[in-house]
Amino acid sequence: MPSAKWIPLLAMLPCAIAAQYTLYTCMVTSKGYVVGAKLPPSGIFRKAPNGGWRHAGYNHPFLSALDFDPRNPSVLYVAAGNGLIQVTGQGEHWKILTGSDVTELMDVSVDRNAPADIYFSHTRGIRVTHDGGATWHDASAGLHRKYTMAVRVDRQRKGVLLAGNEEGIFRSEDGGQSWKLAGAAGYQALHLEQSPHDPCRWLASTQGGGLFASTDCGVTFESNGSLAVDRNLSDIAFDPASPNRIAVAGWGLGVMLSEDAGKTWQGRNTGLPTTSVWSVSFDPSTPGRLYAGVHEEALYVSQNYGRTWTKDGLEGSRVFRLRFVPEVQP
Amino acid sequence: MTLRLAALLLLGLQLHAAAPPFPQRVRQIINAFAHPATPAPLSYSNIAAKLKLHESPAECSSRLQELLAEGPSGDMFWMFPVTAIAYLDQGQLSEPARQAMRQSLKTYMPYRGDTENHWLLYYTCLYLMAQQWPDLTADQWFTGKSSQENLREAAGWIESWVKLTTTRGQGEYDSPHYMGVYLLPMSYLAEWAHDPAMKRRATMMLDYLIADYAAESLDGVYVGAHSRVYDNGAVEKWNNVSSDFGWLWFGQGYPLPSPSSFLLFYTLANAYEPPAILQQIATDRSQPYTHYERKRTRNRWRFYDELHGPVYKTTYMRREYAVSSDQGGTLQPIQEHSWDVTWHVPDPRGVQNTLFSLHPYSSLRELQTYFTFPPDQGVAEVVSSKKSYDSPDKFVGGSPYEQIFQDQDSVIVLYDIPPGTRFPHINGFFSKDLAEVREDPSGWIFARGGDALIACRPLQPYAWRSIEGGGRRLFSPHLRNGMVVQVAARSEFKDMDAFRQAILALRLEFKLDPVPTARFRSLRGKTLQCTYGQPPSVNGAPVDYGKWPLFGGPFLEAPVDSQQLLLKHGAARRKLDFRTLTVQ
Repeated sequence: MPSAKWIPLLAMLPCAIAAQYTLYTCMVTSKGYVVGAKLPPSGIFRKAPNGGWRHAGYNHPFLSALDFDPRNPSVLYVAAGNGLIQVTGQGEHWKILTGSDVTELMDVSVDRNAPADIYFSHTRGIRVTHDGGATWHDASAGLHRKYTMAVRVDRQRKGVLLAGNEEGIFRSEDGGQSWKLAGAAGYQALHLEQSPHDPCRWLASTQGGGLFASTDCGVTFESNGSLAVDRNLSDIAFDPASPNRIAVAGWGLGVMLSEDAGKTWQGRNTGLPTTSVWSVSFDPSTPGRLYAGVHEEALYVSQNYGRTWTKDGLEGSRVFRLRFVPEVQP
Repeated sequence: MTLRLAALLLLGLQLHAAAPPFPQRVRQIINAFAHPATPAPLSYSNIAAKLKLHESPAECSSRLQELLAEGPSGDMFWMFPVTAIAYLDQGQLSEPARQAMRQSLKTYMPYRGDTENHWLLYYTCLYLMAQQWPDLTADQWFTGKSSQENLREAAGWIESWVKLTTTRGQGEYDSPHYMGVYLLPMSYLAEWAHDPAMKRRATMMLDYLIADYAAESLDGVYVGAHSRVYDNGAVEKWNNVSSDFGWLWFGQGYPLPSPSSFLLFYTLANAYEPPAILQQIATDRSQPYTHYERKRTRNRWRFYDELHGPVYKTTYMRREYAVSSDQGGTLQPIQEHSWDVTWHVPDPRGVQNTLFSLHPYSSLRELQTYFTFPPDQGVAEVVSSKKSYDSPDKFVGGSPYEQIFQDQDSVIVLYDIPPGTRFPHINGFFSKDLAEVREDPSGWIFARGGDALIACRPLQPYAWRSIEGGGRRLFSPHLRNGMVVQVAARSEFKDMDAFRQAILALRLEFKLDPVPTARFRSLRGKTLQCTYGQPPSVNGAPVDYGKWPLFGGPFLEAPVDSQQLLLKHGAARRKLDFRTLTVQ
């Protein structure tokens, strides 16, 4: 960890450090868009070394989430309206790995301990492949209601999953063959994140129920207080540089930041045009740098943990997911 | 036979005589697109029509290249004209134009969409394009799959859709607009599929879909209830794509001023002319009849244990009018139309020949049941394209707080709207074209629509609100509410007063607390009872929804899960069997 006095200096050297990760977005340019008209550039955008944004691959309106193969991070998996898409060639080459039996995918997660195991959630549950996408199996048989917004594989334990559906947060220890309610009962869970510092610490966002936290590896979740109760939280980000720093994004909340592991929160919206925020992410290469996708405005960037923001590009977009992908095997 | 009836029959014959024969109707549609009245750069539709007529291949080629160079858009709605062009080419297009078309399937990824009609269009086009270029490798397709993989996947989805439709009913059922989007793919496959089984299946589905329309059409007008209808088409029943098809198939009614593109592409492919028995089913209104259908809801992603719920439709049809309904509830998102009276008029263009009521419901819950909308944007997204969705004045949409029961031409509609519900009132549509409207001291409203005499009894006080463009909205701001409707033919009574006396003589009892309930002795001599939340009854016998057929009535017959449909008219029979892909 660099000491605090070195952080500003390091922040001035983005090129050397930025080479470690590439920032990808799943987004649609929807501002002013009328159904039936030509779709403005949408889909995957990747941040170029010069700081600009490059549209990669197909123009597509429905990309929800993105993950990568830990053995070869240049291989991406994208949850899309048309199915689970394998993306290679820096975003340029796409192959739909699924068939007509799934539609409108919400989330994707690759098992770090079994990289051929890829899970995705969709309108009718969760599916898994154990052979890199050649064949698929249902992984939601034990869930009562199927529509699943979020799925994550525990990065330390093969086949341990967390999923969020309309009935709460569920946990499986057997790759989705059986599930147990872990918390947020009765709430639509929208997003799940595992702390990069402590694998037993998880956060989950919900529709109207606020934030839920687990400190026992996802076995149980408890409400994290009153933050965003009656509102909808769309994204959660742990700061890779600081175990206690967390950011969440939401509708009407904008970006909220906690420096004490979620005990207290401060709004960090100065400079953002609205408080309707889809996504938030810390730059793992540049301490202090935070991105936020503001509804149909643009992607914004802060160099000081959200105290001030400037426009970074992708105007008129909804950025559903921001993902820093390592350029080499992590 | 009365003089009036004789005059009507004569008029009907004249109208039918006015329509040219089927091949000429087809030609008329194609000509409208091949030779547009207003000069403008050719569209995909114009190109396809010209290719069909083997006209101007050089112009078509160069314009097609221009259009493709501009970049495709519209997803499956781009795929279907381009697929037709690929098949209508038949050596006319230049090689660069053909290559541009082929290349676009590599460089443009159409979104597969989120409804049944999207998926059917997408997979039909993918199937035919894969068949057209059967040996391409995976890297030549936007899917990243080879031609054969695409073909197999598309065939699988199409076959599963046919099976689901012929066992549990169509999901986007009886839509006077979207029916075109189902007919079009079947016309394509019937004409262009190489696989004899797929070709046969599609041809049989054309019979199936046309039969579905024919039994519920009134001189070219598609009567309710509908899974999806647009605002204009809900109140002006003629103003729908269904009028194009009714005219094409049966020479009935009037086509739209500009034929729909769905109609064009139907004619450019198979241009299927229905067999005589369907003509008879669509046009024979010599005897009143009740027709039953079972459909299914759209996919319910959330809040339900089953993916599809059943839809129970009843349609009473006679030459003067039709009464039709489903059971109420949010069976479809946004554009559901759950019940109406439609009366016949000789020329329905510009006529609002319908009466109905609804609870104007909109909610995030409804949208999240059927779509993947995020919580904060769902309603706004819908309103961006379906302007009336979140309006208290709207005239389309289902409500979870509405229950409908119909027996022949009697309808009981009950509402039990929870306190706090957005838009806590009901709307009744009273057309500008109603005549002899009278608010009777008894509480009944009497009116005449064409030769249909309508009695309507709101169960709670109401006020009238004017409607832009004419007509009145019955506005009743009471949460426990309802309406009883009885319709009869003008020929059944000496005059409106005689009808009024007959209605007033019928016993009607109702109460609204703790739940709305109504008991009504109908004009047809039956005692109908409906209590909100409970199965209704006829003469004391509860309606058994479990026995509701896929199709039932004098013209169509199909048990649930049968994969069969029997068409009947007089002594004529035509049986479609999708298990064996045979027609007997």
